[in-house]
This record gives sequence, structure tokens and C-alpha cells, in this order.
Amino acid sequence: MSASKADAVVATPTQPPRNDAPAGGSSSHKRPRRRGGPLRLVSPYLMVAPAILGIAFLLFYPVVKNAILAFKNYGRRDFTLGLSGEWIGLDNFKEIFQDSEFWEVLRRSFWFTAINVVSIMVISTLIALMIMKLGKSMRILVLISLVAAWAMPVIAATTVFKWLFRSDNGVVNWLLVQLGFESYDGYTWFAHGGSTMFVIILLIVWQSIPFATLTIYAGLTTVPDEVYESARLDGAGPVRIFRSITFPMLRPIFLLVTSLEVIWIFKCFAQIWAIAGQNGPLNEVSTLPVYAYQIGMQLKRFGMAGAVSTITVVILAAMMVVYFRQLFKQEREAEKA
Amino acid sequence: MKRRLFVAAGVAAALTGVAACGSSDSGDKDKPAASGAQSNAPADGKGKKVTIWVMKGSTNDEFNAAFKAKFEADHPGSTVDIQVQQWNGIGEKITAALASNDAPDIVEAGNTQIAGYAASGGVYDLSSKVTELGGKDWIPGLAGPGKVDGKQYGVPFYAANRVVIYNKEAFAKAGVQPPKTRAEWLETTKKLNSGDQQGIYLPGQNWYFYSGLLKDEGIDLTTKNGDKWKANVGTPQGAAAATFYKDLAANGKGPKDQDEKTQPETVAAANGNIAQFIAVPGELDTVLKNNPALKGKYDFFPIPGKEAGKPGANLTGGSDLFIPEKSKNKDLAYDAIKLFNSDEMQVKLAKALTYVPSKTTQVAALEGVPGAQAQALGAQNGFVIPATVSTNWGAVEETNPLKPFLTSVLTGGNPESEGKKADEAIEKVLNTKS
Amino acid sequence: MKAKTLKRIPLNIAALVTFVVMIFPVYWMVLTAIKPAKDIGAETPKFIPSSVTFQNFKTATDVDGFWDFWRNSLMVAVGGVGLALIIACFSAFAVARMQWKGRAPFILMVFIAQMAPWEALMIPMFLIARDQDLLNSLPMLTAIYFVMTLPFAIVTLRGFLAGIPVELEEAARVDGCTRFGAFRKVVFPLLAPGLLSTSLFGFITAWNEFAFANVLLFSDPKQDTLPVWLNEFSNGLTVDWGATMAAATVFMLPVLLIFMVLQGKVTGGLTSGAVKG
Repeated sequence: MSASKADAVVATPTQPPRNDAPAGGSSSHKRPRRRGGPLRLVSPYLMVAPAILGIAFLLFYPVVKNAILAFKNYGRRDFTLGLSGEWIGLDNFKEIFQDSEFWEVLRRSFWFTAINVVSIMVISTLIALMIMKLGKSMRILVLISLVAAWAMPVIAATTVFKWLFRSDNGVVNWLLVQLGFESYDGYTWFAHGGSTMFVIILLIVWQSIPFATLTIYAGLTTVPDEVYESARLDGAGPVRIFRSITFPMLRPIFLLVTSLEVIWIFKCFAQIWAIAGQNGPLNEVSTLPVYAYQIGMQLKRFGMAGAVSTITVVILAAMMVVYFRQLFKQEREAEKA
Repeated sequence: MKRRLFVAAGVAAALTGVAACGSSDSGDKDKPAASGAQSNAPADGKGKKVTIWVMKGSTNDEFNAAFKAKFEADHPGSTVDIQVQQWNGIGEKITAALASNDAPDIVEAGNTQIAGYAASGGVYDLSSKVTELGGKDWIPGLAGPGKVDGKQYGVPFYAANRVVIYNKEAFAKAGVQPPKTRAEWLETTKKLNSGDQQGIYLPGQNWYFYSGLLKDEGIDLTTKNGDKWKANVGTPQGAAAATFYKDLAANGKGPKDQDEKTQPETVAAANGNIAQFIAVPGELDTVLKNNPALKGKYDFFPIPGKEAGKPGANLTGGSDLFIPEKSKNKDLAYDAIKLFNSDEMQVKLAKALTYVPSKTTQVAALEGVPGAQAQALGAQNGFVIPATVSTNWGAVEETNPLKPFLTSVLTGGNPESEGKKADEAIEKVLNTKS
Repeated sequence: MKAKTLKRIPLNIAALVTFVVMIFPVYWMVLTAIKPAKDIGAETPKFIPSSVTFQNFKTATDVDGFWDFWRNSLMVAVGGVGLALIIACFSAFAVARMQWKGRAPFILMVFIAQMAPWEALMIPMFLIARDQDLLNSLPMLTAIYFVMTLPFAIVTLRGFLAGIPVELEEAARVDGCTRFGAFRKVVFPLLAPGLLSTSLFGFITAWNEFAFANVLLFSDPKQDTLPVWLNEFSNGLTVDWGATMAAATVFMLPVLLIFMVLQGKVTGGLTSGAVKG
């Protein structure tokens, strides 16, 4: 395959072109295969067994149950009285696909995810690179602010964001007016879909930055200094260093964080609901999970909601295929090596 | 002090709880009291526990303690466990409890939520008890929504409706009196809105107030057409009501994109510079707690109607009590409902929290309670939205299309076309088969 | 030397901006908690309180069952996440360092598990708990938090482990360490930053979880967890924001504490680690 060069990079993501590898040069790509007796063969299975058991019973079982509900007319009576619900085949899916609101929400979910994830990744990478360069006290200051933001309970964060953007006494309008933007005096952020969406995205990006930044930063710290030094000696500028050293080396981490953020943002519910659920233009900012919540928890059409969430998982899986392919190439490479 | 009383009650409940659980398995546990009048003798409470869910802020610690003491005295050997529930996520929690085998014995729910729970089949039918409970005197705003498809599931607990709370000093300084008609009200409010003082603090999304205005224009928010619900916001009447709302709110700085929940802290912070706000009387207590300097400055008058002598139509808010089908002590639970429904408890509760009691006959006992009179006057013209008997009404209220509608009208949208959008949203939810 | 200091100015300004933007909402929360109640709704924002009060903290912590909530929350969060971390370490090691059939499907399974729509699983999870008689059971909630954080822990630890050169381990084994010894002495310190971020993430997820705690534990208020407590201060019509923010402030202290402890360990681990030596 023509991509073999890229694969090689993926396969050995953090093996720098170094000459001080402790085990000595040429064998570094070969993993010694020691097959020592039956115990060694069994042990990997023993090591993953608890994880498999836990996930199977507490995750796949309910997921399957949920998927079965998707083919049923299962409402509040069935739920309360412990009935099994009427089997209706694909009717739930048909109804969803005929609902124009579903398609609108679906489209919005995609661009909503894209904007959030791109913002999160770019900002977090920049902050992580910045932290690497900071002196000790500044670094600790920034780290503390990140962890504090991360630790702030969702209910407090959403409330504070709503306050900051209050039209009558919010800090944001006050600040904008102080800066000379008089038109923001009493501006109603939550009266319009666009500005409400802006606040939601700001909130989500703000809440997501700590995890992404700390993870990328953790990755950066594992890159040995010598690599940078030799690059600098070769006269490479910061952009070039990032492109040809940092990024390739941390590619698995970037891929990982990006894919996790895609999953989380696509499934994001609490923030949208808290900002717009009770008194915002919800129908202009709702995404798939909100749509599912309205059908399931509000209208108690649990079967329909099961169908929506099943669709959500399928879409997510489709989006992740790109990532899986990378992952498997990496795996194959590792096996070949 | 309050707190301590409640803690003591809680400890007692916890201590007896174990014994109660153990013995409830034996004997005639699941037999509801037989129909009608012969159940006047108190149910046998020996070793049994009645678990009651009331909402935070619906009652207070003294009331809970008094109720517990009285019930346990009437039913020797029984225990009352009043569990105060919080508002966030309560719908999910009640839905879960009704579907479990550990359901509480009595649940308080908003009068407009009963239909949804009843439709789940998890609520015990109390129709045969209505006469015994004196149901003919119940205020219609609570009894009506508690009755679904001819069956009475919810028993009225308490009602509250919105009044105008006004700053007496501000009115005196401007030389105005509490208004009698809407037109007068608008004029008065304009006069009061000067300098640092806001004529009225009316956030944009007070849909309770808006539906009253709509009712005053002569139409209901929803009407039933055959088996389909229809919403009536995008009508000339709906537009007139919204326009009045907008004109009134313009005499103050109420945020156009928020609901009335922002009120108490804003009024408290304004130090008397808010001349009027619309709220249930009990809300003034929160304001005074936040800013004790305002004590004695505020008084109440009913929301004015279109003509003098008849107060504005007032959406009845409040709660009902119901017994879950899975309750293990239905007869004892029913006795507890009977006690909640009694004149003694109703008046005690109404006085403590400035409520309208569940029966019209109990109102007289509230004379002299500040706020109660204005509220009772408003209650005379109380109404309910017809669609509250719909299974899906709860979903309408939770993501209320009237809120974005009001916000868009207040920020310059066309009332009729925006109203049509709101109608569509309401109808879509109400007419969904679920 | 001077040129270098000058060069650092824009960098430090950027750092300060980051600090202010990230910390401001947190500051506003703490500020609201110590403001007198009548300042909360002030017309012009007050950045510094006119006076400081601890009444809100008193209101928040005087709640019935306050210590029960702590005990419950610690049990479900620490129990669930601790278990997830231990099991994830084994799984991640097996995946990143060992050859076995079924490795790829296992990774795929973990990734799919990561996509689970937890909010939507409320109904089936409730049904399962009801059938197994596990409603109102703290161990059930612990188990849910365990599975909620497990896939993530496996995935991230695997990522960090893959980033640590195998040679380091091999070198240690050449030097006479056992496989486990090599892992403990060489890999583990390098894994520390990854463990920090993973355990913080897991802990924060479980520590904040409200929806399952609300629906699966309903029969006894003594079983409530801290996120439920955070929502206590509303009476339906109004919310006591001062008390809510005070509660939120208290609520996030353990997370900060865990960070401080782990951060100390991580920095130590880095300096003694093999990479720099």
C-alpha cells in the first residue's frame, strides 16, 4: 500500500531518531517474542477478563436492551407496569426519518460537533505548547486554573455562564459597554438561536479545554528534550518542529483526544439543556441527544428514544471508522514488526 | 430551631424505620381500605411506616413536625417519614419510583403533572373517596387537573397564584393608588418608572401571567377540537395579550430572555427601587431574607382585570397529592391524605406559607394574613389551562414554547406570526400519541 | 540574558490571559458564595464583595445528612474509579505490550463502549436494576461508575503506554528486572502523567454524576450523593444561589486536592524517570 510510510510513522509514534537508545540501536524495532510456557499465553486473557466482564454486563447488556426497545412501542405504561411492550418493527425509525425536525437536528449536530472539536483541539494544543515553555510558577498558575475550571461542577458552570450573559446585569454586556460597544447595553443573548449557540459553544469549549490540554501536555512531557535540541541545532523553527517532530510523535495522543472529543461533543446534553432547555430558543440549538431526551424523558416514548439513541451510536461508529482504520493499521504494523 | 425539630423527627423515623420494614411483610399489607364511609375509623398503623414525598419549599419544618405528631398520635405504632424532595430531576425520580417496588406511600406533584403520572398506570384511583374528603368544596384549579378520564387521582394539596407585590413608599411618593383596571395599571406603572426606580420588574418569560392576560382577552391557551388539541397564541387575542405584556414590561429593566426565577435576588438587590413585581405572595419572604432592610415596605394587590371590580384571570398553580399503586400501606396512606385534606392542616399550611387552601370553605380562616387576601381575591377568578388533563402537558411546560415566544415579541417580533410558531410547537407535543 | 527575559513577556502575557479566562467563572462562583445575598442580583456586577459572609457555607453544610452524602459520594466515586484504574492498567498493558489473538477485537470493543450513550441507557439500566433487585443500592451505582470510566481509562492508558519506548523496559529486563519489576520501575513513572489525567477524568465524571444517582437511589434520602445535594437549594420558585455556589465550592475541593497530590507525584516521577537520565 502506498500509505506504508505514514503507517510506519504511526506504528512507531514515539521512537525518536535517537542514538542513545538504552538497548542499543538496530534491534529497537523488534519486539522480542518470548513464548515461555502456557502461563504466558493465558495471562493476557486473564488481564483483560475483568474489563470484558464488566463491559459486557453493565454496558453491552443495557445497550442491547435499548436497541430492542427501539423496535417496540414502549411507553410509560409498559415501563411502570413492567410490560414487555408491543413489537412494531421499524415503525419508530420510519417515524423519526419522516420528522423534518430530526433532519434539522442531525445536520446541526454535525456542524456543532465540528466547530467545538476544532476549537477545542486548536486552543488546547496551543495552551499545552505554551505551558511547556513557561517558567515553573507561571506553569503552576495555568495548571491550577485548568484544573479548577475542570473541577467546577456542571450546575455551577452553567449557572455562572448564564449569569455572565444576562441581559440586565451580566458581566459580558457590562464589559462590552465599558469597552465602547454601546449597542450591547441590555443585549439579549438568549433571545436568538445564533447568540445562544455561541454561549453554549463557549461554555463547552471552556469546559473541555482542561482535559484536552492536560492530556496533550502529558504527551508533550514524554518527548525527550534531546529531540528538540538536535532539531534546533539543525536550524528548525518552532512551526517546523511542531509539524515534523511534535505532531508525528504525539499523533496517537492527538488522534485519541480528537476522537474522544468527537464522541463527547456529539453526545453532549447537559450544557445545551442547562443554557437553553428551560428558557432559551431550544428548537434552534438542540442536537440529537436533546431530541432524544424530549422524546424519551419528556414524552415518555422510550421505544422511540431508544431508536434515536441507537441511530446516534451508529452515526458515531461511522464517524469513528476513520479512527479505527488508523488504529488497526497501527496494530497490524505492530504485529508485523 | 426549626432545623433541629426536623432533625429530631428524621432520627426518630430512621430508628423506627427498620422495625417498620420488617413487619410490613406480615398481615394485611396490600389491602386498600374498603370503599366509602365505613373507613372512618383510623387504619391500623401498628409497626407500619408511611413515606411521604413533599417538595422542597412546599411545606416547612414546623408543618412537617406537626403533621407527623398528629398522625402518629392518631395511629399508634405507626411512623411518618416525610421526605423533602428537590425540584431538579423530580419528574424522572417519580417516574422511577412509580415503576419500582419501593414506591413511597404519598407523592406531591404539581397540579399540571398528575395526568402524566396517572397515564402510567402507577397511580391509585381515589374516585370513591371524593365525597368523604369533601371534594365538592375543592378549588377547581386543583381538583380539575387531578381528575383524568373521569377518575380522581390527585387530591388537592395547596394552591398559590400570582399577585402584584408593590412598594408602598414608592406608590405614596408618586401619589398613586393600587390600580383597579389594566389601563390604570399601565398608567400608574409608567408614572412610577422614573429615575433610578423601575416601574415594574417583569422578566420577559412569565408565561403564567401571560396566560392570564390571554384568558382576559376571552380565549383559552388551548382548546380541544375532536381528539386534537389546538393552541391559540397566534390569534388577534393572543397578540393583544402579548402587546399588553410588552407595554407593561417596558416600564422596567426586566431581562427579556429570562423567566421570573431571576426575580427575588434582583428585587432584593434593588433596595426598594423596584416599585412592583408579579409573584406568588410567598416569594416576598425570599426577598426579605436576602435583604432584611426591605421589611415592611411591600404590600400586595390582585392583578387588575380589564374592568374594575373583577380581578385579572389568574392561572391556578399548586400541588396535588396522590397514592402510588405500588404503595404497601394504601389504607394508612389514605388516612394521611385525609389528614392533609383536613381544615386544621390546610389552614396551618396556608398561614405558614401564604397559600390558598384546597377548599373554598377554608379561605375565611385566613383573614389578616398579609398577602392571603389579595391572593384569595385573585383566586376568585382562577382558571386552569384545559390541556393540563393531557398526558403530554408536563412536556409542554418543561420546554415551554411560550417563553421563547414572549422573548421574541418583547425583542420586536411580530406577535401573530411568532404566536403561530408557538402554537405549532405546543400542538406538536400535545398531539403526539404517547 | 536580558533578551531572553524580553522574549518571555508575550509568552507570560498569553499565560496570564489563559489563567484569567479559565479561572474567571470559578472566581465568580466563589465570589457569589461569599457575597451578601443582596449583592447577588446587583444591577452593575460587583467584582469585589462589599463584605464577606460565610452564611452561605453554613446554609449549605447544615443540610440534613451532609456527611452521609460525603460518605456515599466517596464510596461510589473512589470505589468505581479506583477499580476502573486497576483493571484498566492490566488491560492496557495486555493490549500495548503483549501479543495475543483477539487483541484487535478487544480494542474495538473498548472503543465502542466509549461511545455508549449513557443518558439513553437510563431506562434499560433501571429495568435491569429492578429485575436484579438492585434499586436503591450504592454498590450498583459504584458498578455503573466503574463501567462508565473503564473504557476511557483503558483507551488513554493504552495511548500513553504506546508512547513509552519498549526499549526502556527491555533494558531494565536485561539488567535483571522481572517483567513486572521493569513495568513498575521504568514504565510506571513515565506513565504517571497519563495516570494523572486519566484518574482525574474518571474521578470528575463519577463525582459529578447526577442522573443515575437521582433515578437509581430514591427510597432513602440518606443514600443521596453530593451532586444531589448541590441541587438542594431551590424551592421551585427561586434558587438560593449563594448556598448553591457555596456548596459547589465545597464540592470541587476534593478534585483540587487529588490534583495537588497527583501533580506532586508526577513531577517527582518525571525528574527521576529514565527519559531525562
